[in-house]
Amino acid sequence: MAKLVLDNIAHSYDPNASNPVFALKQMSLSWADGGRYALLGPSGCGKTTMLNIMSGLVTPSHGKVFFDQSEVTRMITEERNIAQVFQFPVIYGTMTVYENLAFPLKCRQFPEDQIDKKVKEVSEILNLHNFLDNRAKGLTADQKQLISLGRGLVREDVAAILMDEPLTVIDPDLKFRLRRKLKEINDKYKTTLIYVTHDQNEAMTFADNIIVMDQGEVVQAGSPKDLFERPQTTFVGYFIGSPAMNLYECSANSENQISIGSNTFKVHTNINNTHSKDLKLGIRSEYITVESKLSDNSLEADIIEVEDFGNYKLITASFDSVKIKAKVKRELDIPSEKVILKLPAEHCCIYEDNKLI
Amino acid sequence: MPKLYTFLKYFFVILWACFVIAPFLWAISTSFKDFNSVTGGATYIPWLQFEPTLDGWSVLFKPGSQGGINIIGPYFNSIFVTLTASLISIVLGTLAAYALSRYTFKAGFVKNNDITFFFISQRIMPPVVLSIPFFLFLSTLGLLDSLAGLILVYIVLLMPIAVWIMVDFFNRVPKEIDETALIDGCNPFQAFFKVVLPNSVPGMLVAGLFCIIFGWIDFFFAFILTFTKVQLLPVKIVALNSSITPWWSLSAAALVSVAPLIIVAFIVERYLSKGNLSGALK
Repeated sequence: MAKLVLDNIAHSYDPNASNPVFALKQMSLSWADGGRYALLGPSGCGKTTMLNIMSGLVTPSHGKVFFDQSEVTRMITEERNIAQVFQFPVIYGTMTVYENLAFPLKCRQFPEDQIDKKVKEVSEILNLHNFLDNRAKGLTADQKQLISLGRGLVREDVAAILMDEPLTVIDPDLKFRLRRKLKEINDKYKTTLIYVTHDQNEAMTFADNIIVMDQGEVVQAGSPKDLFERPQTTFVGYFIGSPAMNLYECSANSENQISIGSNTFKVHTNINNTHSKDLKLGIRSEYITVESKLSDNSLEADIIEVEDFGNYKLITASFDSVKIKAKVKRELDIPSEKVILKLPAEHCCIYEDNKLI
Repeated sequence: MPKLYTFLKYFFVILWACFVIAPFLWAISTSFKDFNSVTGGATYIPWLQFEPTLDGWSVLFKPGSQGGINIIGPYFNSIFVTLTASLISIVLGTLAAYALSRYTFKAGFVKNNDITFFFISQRIMPPVVLSIPFFLFLSTLGLLDSLAGLILVYIVLLMPIAVWIMVDFFNRVPKEIDETALIDGCNPFQAFFKVVLPNSVPGMLVAGLFCIIFGWIDFFFAFILTFTKVQLLPVKIVALNSSITPWWSLSAAALVSVAPLIIVAFIVERYLSKGNLSGALK
């Protein structure tokens, strides 16, 4: 177990090109020992590259990697003592389930009795104990992925367990149980877990800290609450949350007032110092309330659609030819044509050039 | 509809099987005939239509002094040369193919694909182009008319086949398997020998089958590079030909020489049907 530090890391797969394309743009990040992290971002945003840099499968073209105090940038993978689970199950098809799980320990020459104890313990956790003597090749896709996961878990002393969308092929029920198991393992052994996903729900429910990436950059790192309430960029606002954050182009009127078309809104952000013309107001649909009469920060909108999701209703309406979505309690009576919606000033985020101010 | 499909499927399979088996049946029956039975019109059923005899077969095993050709020595020579050259080609070819599949080579404009093509290109030129260089090469090394010389030449001829098949095979083996082995604590050599190689047996069997076939059937180089001390089976069988074509002993020789390939194909076929890495990933 160790603290992982990426110091001014950047990576291009062709660094000698005249105009190199960076899969990972320059960044510094540190991962606390025993932390539970999620790396979240759309496909191709550099998550896997970052993981491979930590495990040593990719040597970064710029910057340094540290495990605790020691630099490991050029250290080969097998010496790093790190576990990595890939998106699709990777099993050693010619070996049995037991041999698969024992393999990382055998490679590191652990004593037989310790291997046996650990393999049995991990196989119990993953419900693989009935298949230990079976050939790994004949198992189902999710069982195979459990083996991949198990090989990551048999070593207690790993610097970190890196998981690259490991639960993609696993059915939803087992996915839920496994996520809980991983949390338990993290609590018990204090192993640093880094979990790559593009599913925000998975990230939100699994991790203490979420790192959101986009186009090779870290756009925000923080707790699920931070990411939800104060998205640092419009990308995070759009990417996190379901439905995505409502975002509107607006103009500054005075210190704490903006306008969207003919509607004006008070905000808690000081917008006197903004220079860019690219100003946006963002608000989560969860914070929009339905009112009975117009007041400050409210607007009248034409209802387009009301969807009943069982535990809440989602109103889609339009004002000044832009759409607005509001998530409200399902007991609420919603008028059929026009609705008055309030955008509370404390929940309004203002973005200049797509960055929160 | 499915019934019609099944019917057509079996119909064409049986038709094709007959087409393949017929020459063998013809050769088997001919090998037990004598001169009169072969030249006296088409006959098929032994004892009823012709009297079977072992004359055709005995020629193959009788020494030259008794009018035979004694194929036993050349037969074992062929087996030894083919197996040794195939084995070495598979070992070297597999290593080369793994490197070409997993590592990036670059020397000027030459890249991995060019190197792979260089290997294959050895098989593109007609063998006759290689005959003089090979002859001079073996003569310089003092290996003309020797088993070692033939093995050397056959390795050159067979390795491209092994490299070609194995590069394609390794390209289809996900590199995550190697990476997982590295993460689990293997060094690159251990990853290859402990993880990649056991998974590559099907590919190596296919490559081995092709090497054995191409090594076994070669007549040209065996004919040019050997004289009296060492002879391989194809060259020896040709020695059977005379002014009267001995169809009966040629048929027997054909059956004897094709037998090892049929045996190898049967053994390898069992692995080919399950021979893929489908279980390794996904």
